[in-house]
Amino acid sequence: MRRIEFYFRETAAGIRRNGIMAFAAISTAFIALFLFGLALLIAREINLVIEQVTGNVEVAVYLSDPVKPEIVADLQQRLQDLPAVATVTYEDKAAACARAHEIFKSNPAIVENVPCETYPASLRITLADTSQYQQIPAALSCQTDANGQATCNEPGVLKVLDYRDVLDRLSAITRVLRNGVLFIAVIMLVSATVLVANTLRMGMFARRKEIGIMRLVGATNWRIRVPFLIEGLVEALVGAGLAIVTLFLGKVFLVDQLRTQVLWIPLVRNSDVLGVAPLILIAACGVAVVAGTIGIRRFLDV
Amino acid sequence: MISLQNVTKTYRNGVTALEDVSIEIEKGEFVFVVGPSGSGKSTTLRLLLREEEPTSGQVYVAGKNVVRLSALGGIPKLRRNIGCVFQDFKLLQDKTVFENVSFALEVIGKPKHVIDGRVPEILDYVGLGEKLNNYPDELSGGEQQRVSIARACVNRPLVLLADEPTGNLDPNTSVDIMRLLDKVNKIGTTVVMATHDQAIVDAMRKRVIELDKGKIVRDQSRGVYS
Repeated sequence: MRRIEFYFRETAAGIRRNGIMAFAAISTAFIALFLFGLALLIAREINLVIEQVTGNVEVAVYLSDPVKPEIVADLQQRLQDLPAVATVTYEDKAAACARAHEIFKSNPAIVENVPCETYPASLRITLADTSQYQQIPAALSCQTDANGQATCNEPGVLKVLDYRDVLDRLSAITRVLRNGVLFIAVIMLVSATVLVANTLRMGMFARRKEIGIMRLVGATNWRIRVPFLIEGLVEALVGAGLAIVTLFLGKVFLVDQLRTQVLWIPLVRNSDVLGVAPLILIAACGVAVVAGTIGIRRFLDV
Repeated sequence: MISLQNVTKTYRNGVTALEDVSIEIEKGEFVFVVGPSGSGKSTTLRLLLREEEPTSGQVYVAGKNVVRLSALGGIPKLRRNIGCVFQDFKLLQDKTVFENVSFALEVIGKPKHVIDGRVPEILDYVGLGEKLNNYPDELSGGEQQRVSIARACVNRPLVLLADEPTGNLDPNTSVDIMRLLDKVNKIGTTVVMATHDQAIVDAMRKRVIELDKGKIVRDQSRGVYS
């Protein structure tokens, strides 16, 4: 108890004495961790959009009217048996209609003027191995013409639609955006680490007389270092706390404002921000550990 | 209590501070180490504290070979058995007299009841029982040195090392400080004091080890300065 009290008293004194440097370290840690969280949320947002647009389905086999249950069952079984296929689910006309209404929620003209019978039933396929996509049109004896349109001879099949192209483009955008922000975040994290390390070093320099006396009277190395390590951890965690709060505020004041205007895009929710928070805290601990290791190295010798 | 055996210390810049020095000091002795600047007095004290390692030879303090001690536990433990007093006092200006002394116990993890018992006791012993809550800059030089002696002794060390403890004090105050060190010695603490102060060495009539250019030129019990 007494030891813990000692550590925290020393830490608090250190941060107070070292005010401006501590402030610089905390704000850099804050910006770095904020960008880090932002990168993760952008990735999450784009995943949400992909899920919404494709239902995570990579290939859709549309069925011609009228849909016969025995043909559906037969096709489903045959597709399922292909090694390239992971799952096959049947979406009937009612479900297709409901999904279309959901997508075009903000566009009543489409919802009202397109009758439900127009939407075709489909078998929605996720692939176990996307590179073997060709197995599917081959199994349904489809030919692809010059325009890339597949016509199929299999009875009951209207056409095969390949979402991989859309998915590829979406994930390319995701990659660029997320990697860009992550790149900036990494640079900021590095400078946060250096700043925290420097704060610790300056703190040790300011207290070199105290440290000298501690050594002389036989304080162990850890007794001397732990207050500084806690100081680094506190600075990183305060930065992380601010970053998490700012992401929440951004979500409430920016994202939630959009929610009433752009209805067709699913937006990140509180639970998504909450899911990012532990990652930010882990990154903050990483910053503190590395900064501590660098910052106190020069004072390791007894 | 203290034993240097054929110790040579050459610093990295090539300066040889001690050359084949052997010293035996018994428990409870009071020893002056004298000699001109650069004769190796401070190096001797730093070797005992294990702030330096000898280039060759062995150093024993309280039965321990200090060369073999580990930085993790052994060296701190050694230093808990050695009190240190310096010419410039090395007090923390932003701490009171009480806090300066309690700091030494606090950082080695002594519990509060030990600190609250021992700190007033030792400050009373050095004659500062009334000045617990003063800051160092409110004290005279002699009083500050008493605080530093209290800090060195509060953990009841076996050995007290004093490096020019009267270097910044006027002759009368120096005599008071020497009386105090003598008192500390009388309760069984081995005292090793490096000094330039001829008057004090002559007055005390204790063992004198004289160093010159890193070699012992005289080792005399009940000696004088030169």
